[in-house]
Amino acid sequence: MQHMARVSPGDGQTPRPAVEVRGLGHAYDGRDGVVAALADIDLTVPAGQFTVIVGPSGCGKTSLLMMLAGLRTPTSGTIECDGRPIAKPDPERVGVVFQEASLYPWLTAVENVEFPLLLKHTPRDERRARAEQMLKLVGLDGFGGRYPHELSGGMKQRVSIARGLVQDPPVLLMDEPFAALDEQTRMTMGHELLRIWSETSKTVVFITHSLTEAVYLADEVLVMSARPGRILDRVPIDLPRPRTYQMMATDKFGQLRERIWQQIRDMP
Amino acid sequence: MSRSAVILVRIALLLAVLGAWEVLPRAGVVNPMLLPPLSQVLVVLGEILKRGDFQEAMAVTAAEVLVAFVIAVPLGALLGVLSAENEYFGAIFKPMLFYVFSIPKSIFLPMFILVFGIGFGQKVAYATFSTIFIVIMSASAAVESVKAEYLLVAQSYGATRAQILRRIYVPSMMPILLETLRISMIFNFTGVMIAEMYASRTGVGHMISNWGENFMLPQLFAGVIVLAVAAMAFNELVRYWEARCSTWRG
Repeated sequence: MQHMARVSPGDGQTPRPAVEVRGLGHAYDGRDGVVAALADIDLTVPAGQFTVIVGPSGCGKTSLLMMLAGLRTPTSGTIECDGRPIAKPDPERVGVVFQEASLYPWLTAVENVEFPLLLKHTPRDERRARAEQMLKLVGLDGFGGRYPHELSGGMKQRVSIARGLVQDPPVLLMDEPFAALDEQTRMTMGHELLRIWSETSKTVVFITHSLTEAVYLADEVLVMSARPGRILDRVPIDLPRPRTYQMMATDKFGQLRERIWQQIRDMP
Repeated sequence: MSRSAVILVRIALLLAVLGAWEVLPRAGVVNPMLLPPLSQVLVVLGEILKRGDFQEAMAVTAAEVLVAFVIAVPLGALLGVLSAENEYFGAIFKPMLFYVFSIPKSIFLPMFILVFGIGFGQKVAYATFSTIFIVIMSASAAVESVKAEYLLVAQSYGATRAQILRRIYVPSMMPILLETLRISMIFNFTGVMIAEMYASRTGVGHMISNWGENFMLPQLFAGVIVLAVAAMAFNELVRYWEARCSTWRG
């Protein structure tokens, strides 16, 4: 399995980063005055890279993702996606996959996947064809007619990923997409996600609580501090691709996870 | 128990009740003056349905019910949506609505007679009043049933306000709204009946009340059958619609 759009630094060309964040800060009015949620976030995600963000609960990971998606306005700093600033949601540049599946229960799987295209008034046949294609990509060929309550947790997340990809955005943001799944399904879904990623060559920014998941999936892991969230460390994960479950048992894997764990553990 | 067996038992039970209605008064087990046999009631039913005054009474009652429904449902839905969506409106009116909801509406009936006199307006006003609170409460519950993440997903895909209203609010509120229609019709119908039976010159409720006072039990039961069938027919119509709109509910 080879990965097409991997652009590594030092190719001689300077690839345009898919996501570029400069001096990003976010503060909100809390009960005891202004609360700084995020401070001085600098972030560069090269096109095609799989970046995972980890950090303690309440460090503002989700806030950061919401701002990358254009769903929340930063207090300071800039966000650029594909070289242009993100001011409001732009599903053609950034697709989002949320915690839990957040599918619409009144729509079938294929209608859920079509939903972003429906909002764009894409003709019905084209919409359906694209959605069917995406369901096939995520391994749900033939399940399009089912309602969410007829699908398992893992299948719902597959539909959700298909919905995130249906407009073919170069960047896919994922907010703890597998948190609600059982351990086994979670492992399978991680593996599936890597397969989908390598077939579509998207830039992925993925948030998780699971350090094993982070090391298993990522090209680079960003470790965030407790509030106000800052980026404490950038850990390149130089494990070979394609990743295998066996790698989790290697010393290398253990050392990488340990390096991340040490920093999270020492936080107040 | 299989589904067909359940249906068979239901039919058997219905036939048993109707059979008892016929047999018990005839056998003298129950007083036929108080419970006339079913066949006698059905004969009287056939007769009164042909009577001009009864047809007129049905038309009046139906008009009262429909007008009150057409006023109470949209107005109540609007107030309910407002109290759920608008923070200030909700904060001010919700407690008041909640407390008024708990009061039996029939105690206000004499006031409606004083204000509107006895007639069409009084019945419509009273039925509207007795229905609107349940509509307000249900509509605001329907709005609150729209999950925040549904809206977030739609926003992340660039949905406009109109699209969010049409694609998210309407379908996700639909099951509760249809149930509201059904329940408000029950309240509404009850309101019109109480108003007609309390003080009225016309309407089916008024006729039933008269028949009761004059000990005309076959007519009374015939009237009850007409009203019961009308109420159940509407209920089933909305339920059918509800089922069609909620196949997605597991």
